[in-house]
Amino acid sequence: MHDVKHTSRCFCTALLAVVVLAACEPSPPSSPGGTPPEATAVPQETAVREAPRYDDGLVRFDRIAGEKGYWGQASVSALVETGVELPMNDTGLLDDLADAARIAPFRPWALALYEHRQRNGLADDPTRFCLPPAGPRHMHAPGGFRIIQDRNFDRVYVMFGGGNRNWRVIFLDGRDPPDPEEVVGTYYGYSSGRWDDDTLVVESSGFNARFWFSNGGLPHTEALHLTERFSRPDYHTLRYEVTVDDPYTYTRPWNAEWTVAWVDDGTIPEQFCEDNR
Amino acid sequence: MPSNKISAVLGLAGLLGLALQAEAHHSFRSQYDADQPVTFTGIVTKVEWMNPHVYFYIDVENEQTGALENWGFEMGPPHMLQQRGWKRNSMLIGDEVEVHGTRARDGSTTANARRVALTSTGQVLGAASSEGQTITSGDPPAN
Amino acid sequence: MTRQTHRKLATAALIAATTFAGLALTGTQAQQSTSETTRPAPRWPDGRISFTGPPGEVGNWGGPPTSTLANHYREGALGDSGVNLETNLDAEDVPFQPWARDVYEYRQATFTKDDPHTRCKPSGGARLFHTPYGFEILDLGVEIIFVTVGAPHSWRVVHLDRTDHPADPEPSWYGHSIGRWEGDTLVIDTVGFNDRFWISRGGFPHTTRLHTIERISRPDFNRLRYEITIDDPGAYTETWSGGWYIPWIAGNEPFDYLCQENNLDAARMVGPDLDADAGE
Repeated sequence: MHDVKHTSRCFCTALLAVVVLAACEPSPPSSPGGTPPEATAVPQETAVREAPRYDDGLVRFDRIAGEKGYWGQASVSALVETGVELPMNDTGLLDDLADAARIAPFRPWALALYEHRQRNGLADDPTRFCLPPAGPRHMHAPGGFRIIQDRNFDRVYVMFGGGNRNWRVIFLDGRDPPDPEEVVGTYYGYSSGRWDDDTLVVESSGFNARFWFSNGGLPHTEALHLTERFSRPDYHTLRYEVTVDDPYTYTRPWNAEWTVAWVDDGTIPEQFCEDNR
Repeated sequence: MPSNKISAVLGLAGLLGLALQAEAHHSFRSQYDADQPVTFTGIVTKVEWMNPHVYFYIDVENEQTGALENWGFEMGPPHMLQQRGWKRNSMLIGDEVEVHGTRARDGSTTANARRVALTSTGQVLGAASSEGQTITSGDPPAN
Repeated sequence: MTRQTHRKLATAALIAATTFAGLALTGTQAQQSTSETTRPAPRWPDGRISFTGPPGEVGNWGGPPTSTLANHYREGALGDSGVNLETNLDAEDVPFQPWARDVYEYRQATFTKDDPHTRCKPSGGARLFHTPYGFEILDLGVEIIFVTVGAPHSWRVVHLDRTDHPADPEPSWYGHSIGRWEGDTLVIDTVGFNDRFWISRGGFPHTTRLHTIERISRPDFNRLRYEITIDDPGAYTETWSGGWYIPWIAGNEPFDYLCQENNLDAARMVGPDLDADAGE
């Protein structure tokens, strides 16, 4: 029996939870001279630990030397258009299939396929064959992840603990995406990123259509284009926003967003989907 | 027995050679029989641009039985083929191709493609596959 | 000053002052030599050796698929390699337990047809280091991460910030690795392996008692020297070592590769007909 979750929870709620978590942390390094708050103290905004930064001021999405940790639980269990709240379980299976059309602006074939996948209990999920929960799905699927910035080659690696412990790479050197007429679609696509102040903005294309990009079985075609925005409003919170643009599957571009909580002092255990095959 | 001392010169040559060599994620000899070279000309019926190896399939006529057979050919991974000049539309369903390769050990109508030539243009494309070959163009191998 | 402005002003300093963990490579040593064959390994500003390229000189390490952990000269599944370490044993001199020798001989005689790697299984031990398509070595200071395109598009962590292993690690493909620097050599001590992979492409067997010590160095810009000591009393009568050189592939970049996508090989890796061969 899966726990029922509600998607698109208020970001402020997540932030408050982080405030509580941060308040319970011993001696936040960001305020080495301060007095650690009492565990029972009323959370104060000032108790929130700031996101770490490199010496040059760039925000850092991974752990800092001397500490452990990784990105763990997402505040949602599947992509749902921003502003919509629907009850579903932690695999993205809707409590009420009649809600399906509210998930996203489906084209008719896509809605029919999504409903089929839901009715089928998600039995055709490619992850059952150890194919990756690629795209935004990795950002809310179990297993956790790390975001490692390779300043030397100007890349970002996202290392996943779920699925088959894969990784994706985001190039930050300003390169153009591949020619869509020539690219061979892949699971993680081709990602090119840039900084918009403290937000990493990533454009991805070049996907194949053989994976589900969300829990629950949202369909897509090779025309899928994602715009992802990663930010770290505080030490314990990753904010993730994604715009899904696939005109063959959806009638218009649409957005989803959620937060992911930092797991203090944690290390992603070694698990492979292939363990059980 | 040869000495296990390998000279630095040979080591360096090996390194440089490997940088150019085709590679695979499996043992070539366990899957293909070097004593069974094959050459076919046929019409492409399917192309699978997927990892770990691109496969394409052609219809060929069995010279002994006259029956039409569908043969599958393994090449390198998509990324490596692209590095060697292949594009997704380099080979399309309906194209006639000439293929030199090595037949699978399991007796199926499967082979490892070493050289692929498009009949319409004569363009020769290496297959970036697992037989330790470096051919990307030029004359066909001696089989 | 805004953070954005601050970041722009810091760009020049960034090249010399930062990496994943706060450092970046200098290209000065590289420029001192005009010969690619003798070009020295790059170093970080603090003098520590680097296992990647200077900024702007992308590339990664290409696991040589013909390398072997011990030399063998008979007709077999893998050809002898010019990239093996000069100190490698001959395969017949490897201190096998009898059962392990039989397993190794069978795997060789069948041209490694049962290789778990070909079934998309993770490649622990030395197997990772001769897997094709390239791998990156991310030096985060307190940890090293091997990022592999193949084998199977995953990442292995070496902890440089601890000196001991967990008391009873859960058996895993990569095991639990702790590392330290001995001069310019990265020394990695690993325990906690499962027994579901092959130590090397050639098929050396092991048990869950496997303990490895890997020594990785970069004798020059274009080569990584990889050596592994096998300590597994379940499969070998004494410890032994082997390894190979790994070439730097200039210009190579990581790419998307999923073994599970359309893996038709496993069912077709039938190997030679041993009965027929025996009757010849």
